[in-house]
Amino acid sequence: MIDFELSDEQKQIQSMARAFAREHVLPHAAAWDRETRYPEEVVEAAAELGLLNVGVPEAVGGLGLGMLDEIVIAEELAYACMGFYTILMASDLGLTPIVLAGTAEQQRRFLEPLTTQARLAAFALSEPDNGSDASGLRTQARFEGDEVVLDGTKMWISNGEQASVIVVFATVDVQSGHKGTVAVVVEGGTPGLEANPIHGKLGQRASPTAELVLRGVRVPSANVLGEVGDGFKIAMRTLDRTRVPVAAGSVGVAQRALDEAISYASTRQAFGGPITRFQAIQFKLADMKIGLETARWMTYRAAWLIDRGLPHTEASAIAKCYASDVAFKAAEEALHVHGGYGYVDEFPVGKLMRDVKLNQIYEGTNEIQRVVIARGLMR
Amino acid sequence: MKIVTILKQVPDAEARVRASGGTLDLSGATLVIDGMDEYGVEEALRIRERGMETEIVALACGPERAAEAIRTALAMGVDRAVHVVSDVTLDAVAMARVLAGVVQDEAPELVFVGGKQADWDSSALGPALAEALGWPHADWTTELTFEDGTITVTHDIDDGTETLTLPLPAVVTTQQGLNEPRYPTLPNIMKAKRKTLEARPLADVAAAAGAPADRATELRASEIEARSRRNVVLDGDAKTAATELVRRLRDEAKVL
Ligand SMILES: Cc1cc2nc3c(=O)[nH]c(=O)nc-3n(C[C@H](O)[C@H](O)[C@H](O)COP(=O)(O)OP(=O)(O)OC[C@H]3O[C@@H](n4cnc5c(N)ncnc54)[C@H](O)[C@@H]3O)c2cc1C
Repeated sequence: MIDFELSDEQKQIQSMARAFAREHVLPHAAAWDRETRYPEEVVEAAAELGLLNVGVPEAVGGLGLGMLDEIVIAEELAYACMGFYTILMASDLGLTPIVLAGTAEQQRRFLEPLTTQARLAAFALSEPDNGSDASGLRTQARFEGDEVVLDGTKMWISNGEQASVIVVFATVDVQSGHKGTVAVVVEGGTPGLEANPIHGKLGQRASPTAELVLRGVRVPSANVLGEVGDGFKIAMRTLDRTRVPVAAGSVGVAQRALDEAISYASTRQAFGGPITRFQAIQFKLADMKIGLETARWMTYRAAWLIDRGLPHTEASAIAKCYASDVAFKAAEEALHVHGGYGYVDEFPVGKLMRDVKLNQIYEGTNEIQRVVIARGLMR
Repeated sequence: MKIVTILKQVPDAEARVRASGGTLDLSGATLVIDGMDEYGVEEALRIRERGMETEIVALACGPERAAEAIRTALAMGVDRAVHVVSDVTLDAVAMARVLAGVVQDEAPELVFVGGKQADWDSSALGPALAEALGWPHADWTTELTFEDGTITVTHDIDDGTETLTLPLPAVVTTQQGLNEPRYPTLPNIMKAKRKTLEARPLADVAAAAGAPADRATELRASEIEARSRRNVVLDGDAKTAATELVRRLRDEAKVL
């Protein structure tokens, strides 16, 4: 049985998220971008509405929302500002390993506090010398009595400086590949943990990104998720899920690009009339729509598989890769439809393109998504 | 304390509606709870939050789809809702008679109605409801306080504002300035699923209230005014163009 209708609650969630995004995010997005400002107060407002950390399970104070609920929110927030949405998205990315692999006690200890206050989580996998090749990570984990000691550097960590809960991926033995990997929960402010903000990002500047340096960071071994050897698996299972919100954010940006292109093209005059008279412009809009709709439904399908507990590795990789490619193309075309005006920051289309470029890179570059898809085909 | 808040579902102010042959095509338009009614919902919630034990009941008369607007009110925090399901487009007076039937059953102390209905720009529903109930009424209210068995409201009149004290039960129409309506939160949206939304057919409610289940006025003809744009481009340098713009705004559009 196929049903393409959102539930009544999902429609309510959508209209609330849309109203919030259009009123509290969209009007400020250009300024956050220009000033590279992390809009803490708006993150707090989002948390008050329940939009932050929606992935926390019901048993530990969350709302028990599904992936479909989450992506309905994602699309609306990303429409207003992809950078802003990345703050919330990266927090859900950070808490997902705990949802997937944490014990009831760990979930209570780390996740419950994320529901009572505007607190962020972070996911620390990438390192200065390895991103795509995540199993080559070098951050060291050493067990000493009932503690784990962490040493190393994590790179590009969204919310790294702000997060109160960080899942750090490390290895007990650099030589042993996957088998040595561990996922360890580190609380923000633990001695030895230093966050250095990364400057000069092309886009998504509302979202703070940091380098995390860990020097002898000690946490209880009760903070280890699963067992030694599970780290890489936990990271991959996490990304299999969280690529779907990246896809949904991309769909939001694609929709925005299309709306901006239509609105500009219908008022811009050339050769005695609006440029929408030209079929060359109409075809651009039509192509954007084709990409947008197909990306949206692929994203919904991947979310649907997750909500039903069905295998979703391939679907989420397809959705993430396709939707971000479609969105980048849509943003580029929207910029082009604006002519010279698209090239300056008076119009939002340039930012859309700069922002959504990242969607093709993080949570696994689109080459890595193809690697994942192809690996499934060859099996 | 019991409060009934009347709701209407209307097209979003930014919705694109298509007009053709005297009718409006709302398919594709986003429909929302009337902004004016939202002030009433918010005010009821605030009265409860100030510590007065209050039951809040949302009441709407409209087609099946109006349930979406009712759910928004439930998600904002209203306790339960009654939906008089009607496929007939009732005018304000007929709708007031139907609603009065339900209000009488509910027997609240206070009824909130939006000061104006955004769909046909009519301000008649509140006064007509008060008339049908035989209750006192204050319109265009921007401030409201309680004192044993009475309410004191400040409302707009042509020359400014006026403060009135009314005995309860009463009908109060709400407007901008009364408060800033909240967004429904995610937890409340999920909770609203479990709240009662009672649907009653128009015919039954009207019969019980002794009201006709049809319009009170006869519609002879209706026309939708289609305004065409002027497509004027002002020539000359910025100064000349600005001077001309001001002149047109003042002398022709009469907005300055
Ligand atoms: C703003 C920002 C925020 C981020 N947030 C986080 C975060 O919160 N947590 C986190 O852990 N990481 C985060 N990242 C890191 C991100 O996930 C990585 O940048 C990404 O996975 C790519 O890794 P890399 O930069 O090391 O590139 P590399 O792995 O060095 O790749 C370089 C190029 O080679 C290509 N390539 C690599 N391997 C293959 C292959 N097998 N086949 C074909 N092509 C290949 C890549 O596609 C890419 O084009 C963030 C990055 C940015 C820029």
